[in-house]
Amino acid sequence: MMDQRGSIIGMNPAAERTFGIAEADARGREMAEVMVPPTLREAHRHGLARLLAGGEPQILDRRVEVTAQRADGTLVPVELTITRVENGGEPLFIGYLRDIGDRIETEEQLRRSRLQLLRATDEARRRLERDLHDGAQQRLVGLALTLRLARAQVDQDPAAAVELLDEASEDLASATEELRDLARGLHPAVLTDGGLGPALRGLIARLPLDVRVDGVPEDRLAIDVESTAYYVVAEALTNVARYAGTQRAQVAFAHADGRLAIEVRDHGRGGADLDGGTGLRGLEARVAVHEGSLSVTSLAGEGTTVRAEVPCAS
Amino acid sequence: MARTVLIVDDHAGFRRQAKRALEAEGYRVIGEAPSGAAGIEAAARLAPEVVLLDVHLPDASGFDIVSRLGSRAVVLISTRGGQEYAELIGSSGARGFVPKDQLCRATLEPLLGEA
Repeated sequence: MMDQRGSIIGMNPAAERTFGIAEADARGREMAEVMVPPTLREAHRHGLARLLAGGEPQILDRRVEVTAQRADGTLVPVELTITRVENGGEPLFIGYLRDIGDRIETEEQLRRSRLQLLRATDEARRRLERDLHDGAQQRLVGLALTLRLARAQVDQDPAAAVELLDEASEDLASATEELRDLARGLHPAVLTDGGLGPALRGLIARLPLDVRVDGVPEDRLAIDVESTAYYVVAEALTNVARYAGTQRAQVAFAHADGRLAIEVRDHGRGGADLDGGTGLRGLEARVAVHEGSLSVTSLAGEGTTVRAEVPCAS
Repeated sequence: MARTVLIVDDHAGFRRQAKRALEAEGYRVIGEAPSGAAGIEAAARLAPEVVLLDVHLPDASGFDIVSRLGSRAVVLISTRGGQEYAELIGSSGARGFVPKDQLCRATLEPLLGEA
């Protein structure tokens, strides 16, 4: 509460907490000095003077977001509504304010998380284009050249043509296998059809690792929860195969209280870097969309543990 | 006289198959290079008539290398299509572009002109 001279005449306990000052210490002092950041003080004083001189009320009775200042000088974003009341001929200004620091931080986190997801998606697309180009497409190009050659040789050198056709068959089989792998990497059909259990068994069979899996949920979960769980395990195990210098890993699930907890652990060399091409940033963003969490513990020499928690309506 | 050819492409499998296909059609492949730098060096050393140059090399873009291969016929090649690259091909100084899977005398000769 502020009088027409701009002095504080009262504060409630909540305001005392927000600003870190006792009402007794604030009363009588100019509000601009106590609660308004230095850069905004003149504007505040000017606004008050204009209002008292009969100017149009610009910020009265509206919710505005401003930056206020605590007693210790730190800034706090607040949502503020100011009401003017008459108190025996003298105007009194009552401010209702709310610390919105948390809301702004959440909005910022949301923005960052969305950006991360976008980047991860774009990176995945680029990787896919590269894999298609370097793998299957190159093979098909080779196939085209071989078949053309076989065709040209059919009349004058049938034996050579047959050899070329055999070669073409092999190249075609390799190309098909590569495309199959690529498609599985994108989204394994067995995950949709059979759920986490069969999908993970298939994944582990194709990795050069010895993996123990515990606690796979028996019931099907929402498709996006199963997808996220699958990708967390797939990415984490791929990292083990690539970087950990060990062939053993453990995967554990726990499904309780509407949350699916996933842990992938190895006892390899550790030192995993969230930004070092491990795909973990993308996973973090994906898990964040579920409002879940992902954490990586990876001290050098002590192995790596990737933990994720994904809320899921049971 | 058979035209002499240098193949600049980072996929060894393709170089092998392209060489086989070209030689079956009367070209003489006198060299191969897996990168832009190696390609520039080989072109200077071997003086081929024709250079088949991949658009995507590990150390450079084919478009940038064309002018550094000396005065010879450069044909750009790629697994990716040529339509998106039309402008870049035109301004690169190359004779033209051939998709890798269509590499043969019938597509090359029109770009190379008189022997």
